[in-house]
Amino acid sequence: MRRYSFSRKQLAIPYAVYLLCFVVAPLFVLMFYAFTNASGQFTFKNLTMFFTDPNTLGTLFYSLGIAFVTTLCCLLLAYPTAYILAHSQLKNKSVMLMVFIMPMWINFSLRITALKEILSLLEGNLAYHPFLNAIIGMTYDFLPFMILPIYNTIVKLDPSLAEASRDLGANEFQSFLKITLPLSLPGIISGVAMVFLPAMTNYVVLDMLYNSTYIMGSLIGSYFAAYNWHGGSMIALILLAIICIFTIFTNGFGSQDENRGGVLL
Amino acid sequence: MRKGYDHHRFQPVKSLALLLIMSIILSFCPKMTTSAAGKDKIILRVSNWEEYIDEGDWDEVIDLDSGDIIGKNNIVNDFEEWYYDTYGREVEVAYSAFGSNEEFYNMYTLGNKYDLVCPSEYMMMKLAMEDQLQPLSRSFFDKNDPNNYYIKGVSPYIQDIFERSTIDGEPWSDYFAGYMWGITGIVYNPEYVTEEEASSWSILTNPRFKRQVTIKDSVREAYFAAVGAIKSDLLTSEAFLNDPHYKENLEREMNDASDETIKAVQDYLQKVKDNTYSFESDAGKADMITGKVVANYQWSGDGVYTLDQAEEDDLYLSFAVPKESTNIYFDGWCMLKSGIQNDPAKQHAAEAFINFMSRPDNVIRNMYYIGFTSCISGGDDPRIFEYADWCFSAEEDEEDVTEYPLGYFFSGDPDDEDYVISAPTDQVNRQLFSQYPDEKTISRSSIMVYFDKETTEKLNQMWINVRCYNIRKIPLWIWILTGLGIAGCAIWYLRKKMKKDY
Repeated sequence: MRRYSFSRKQLAIPYAVYLLCFVVAPLFVLMFYAFTNASGQFTFKNLTMFFTDPNTLGTLFYSLGIAFVTTLCCLLLAYPTAYILAHSQLKNKSVMLMVFIMPMWINFSLRITALKEILSLLEGNLAYHPFLNAIIGMTYDFLPFMILPIYNTIVKLDPSLAEASRDLGANEFQSFLKITLPLSLPGIISGVAMVFLPAMTNYVVLDMLYNSTYIMGSLIGSYFAAYNWHGGSMIALILLAIICIFTIFTNGFGSQDENRGGVLL
Repeated sequence: MRKGYDHHRFQPVKSLALLLIMSIILSFCPKMTTSAAGKDKIILRVSNWEEYIDEGDWDEVIDLDSGDIIGKNNIVNDFEEWYYDTYGREVEVAYSAFGSNEEFYNMYTLGNKYDLVCPSEYMMMKLAMEDQLQPLSRSFFDKNDPNNYYIKGVSPYIQDIFERSTIDGEPWSDYFAGYMWGITGIVYNPEYVTEEEASSWSILTNPRFKRQVTIKDSVREAYFAAVGAIKSDLLTSEAFLNDPHYKENLEREMNDASDETIKAVQDYLQKVKDNTYSFESDAGKADMITGKVVANYQWSGDGVYTLDQAEEDDLYLSFAVPKESTNIYFDGWCMLKSGIQNDPAKQHAAEAFINFMSRPDNVIRNMYYIGFTSCISGGDDPRIFEYADWCFSAEEDEEDVTEYPLGYFFSGDPDDEDYVISAPTDQVNRQLFSQYPDEKTISRSSIMVYFDKETTEKLNQMWINVRCYNIRKIPLWIWILTGLGIAGCAIWYLRKKMKKDY
């Protein structure tokens, strides 16, 4: 009897097929729409339109602003949390981590609806603080994506490094600044990447918290609702380009360190 | 690890991969429709709004004088049974639902096939202009056929509008059979808002209700309200109201899409955006009930629902129709050429579906289930009026009663004494009013036509301009901060790099 076994390459075929059908092929369709007009002719007009219209540019800026502030808030909240978790004396740290992460497993629209009620209670009328609400909602939504990678890098750090710095006369704060923080940079970077990019397009949170200003995601949606698939595709493509640039930039930072890509869940 | 790579093993895997690819490709292919058993069966592909048809399973019985009505099964299944019993042929309804006219149109252009759809009037106009619609057959309008419930039962008022309104010279009624209709108005909380304030589109920018009113998240609805608010003085002037061509003038003014008007609307909607609580697509009803907002731009059918729900929480809301004008809208059935493909059996089934939905007991079932108002008044069958009476008429010990004439809708004669509901007075600006607006209100209604492609593009651009954040609005300090941030990052990066080079 012959035994069939698969080589690594062959095992990758299903994924390759999946990738081809649902990622690469749609991307080409997207490109096709982005560079054609309604009658199917090649054009750059969609591109120039985006960069000359003060409204679309403003939307880009607004989305970047929201994403930036959200990322900053997530970072400021997540780093201390991850640090404390990683340095806690508890035997089973991962259980502790689960306690922090578990509430985030509840369906996010449910959580945002609950948040809406809490914010209404605190603010009285949600509609006066659309930007603040969007930030709070997104921070709430994306926080675990920041905590996990940072926690993973900090927990793997060799404690003898920090001890050595203390032996050499650094105080606790200096030791943190010179040793722990630089070494946890890869975790920070993957956390930032995982928060910043979705925050630019996640318009559901904005919608649910009544921020009536469009961000990139809702702008694409509005183009598609108006049957302007060409303009919508172009904006999607521009977003993709921004993501690419961002990734290359952050990878440039990360590659200087050895302990790279302490990402994932 | 790679040592085990062996070309002999390649064959089975290759065929496996091939199989996988083949199955994926095959799954994209259109399904084969001819199966031996289904040869005689008509497959009718119907698409309608979400939650816009009776799905059965009621616990309440409507006990009218002419007999009880209850929805036990899904009405679509009832149709399949009825069709077999009446015409002796099996029909299978492939029922699907859409969330908006635009969503339907997108699915349709992407290649989804439908035989019978229920869009709003402007989408029907768009489809008709693109020559996508199959006209209703002559026999559909034959009043002698006992099964032609639609033509026997459609409200004379609605039928009149359908015959008067045209697309390229052809009346709507050739293609379009009404299902539900309504008007737009303002649901408001009378504790905070007076009826007078709610009776104008300018409530949307009224500073007294800053951040306490909601507006629909839809270009067309917002545009209509804005035009009404901008032209308020003209539309309510004596000269305009008393003009013999009032109706035509009103429709022309409300459908004005000149560049100046679009510009003015954009400015007005900017103000609305700064004053409104939210642009909502569905949350407005809940926000109204929980008291987050005091007024809510709403379709009359949803208005009934909101009022009913609020009542359960002991909150008594009201419905007002702006004095300038109100948008009368229709959702109705039309057949698509690409689906019917001139198949008489299929067309017959589609038209039978319309007729079945227009049978008075089914009309009541649908109205009760979804809360909107049907275009059918029942003709000789009294049950629909009985239902309205059952819903709204005053209890016998009620003291404050108002006579509410609905003759214009049920018989075409506004003074018809057979169609008067004796309702509790407060119903006159509540559920009864939003379910069946009185004739005076409806006389200032205007349909909103389908704008041509160029105008639609302008409107969409206007909407995007309103909703987007204009880059010129960014204050200087943010620019400075951004510049400093970027410069800081760059310097830090460069210094780090230089350090490394040493």
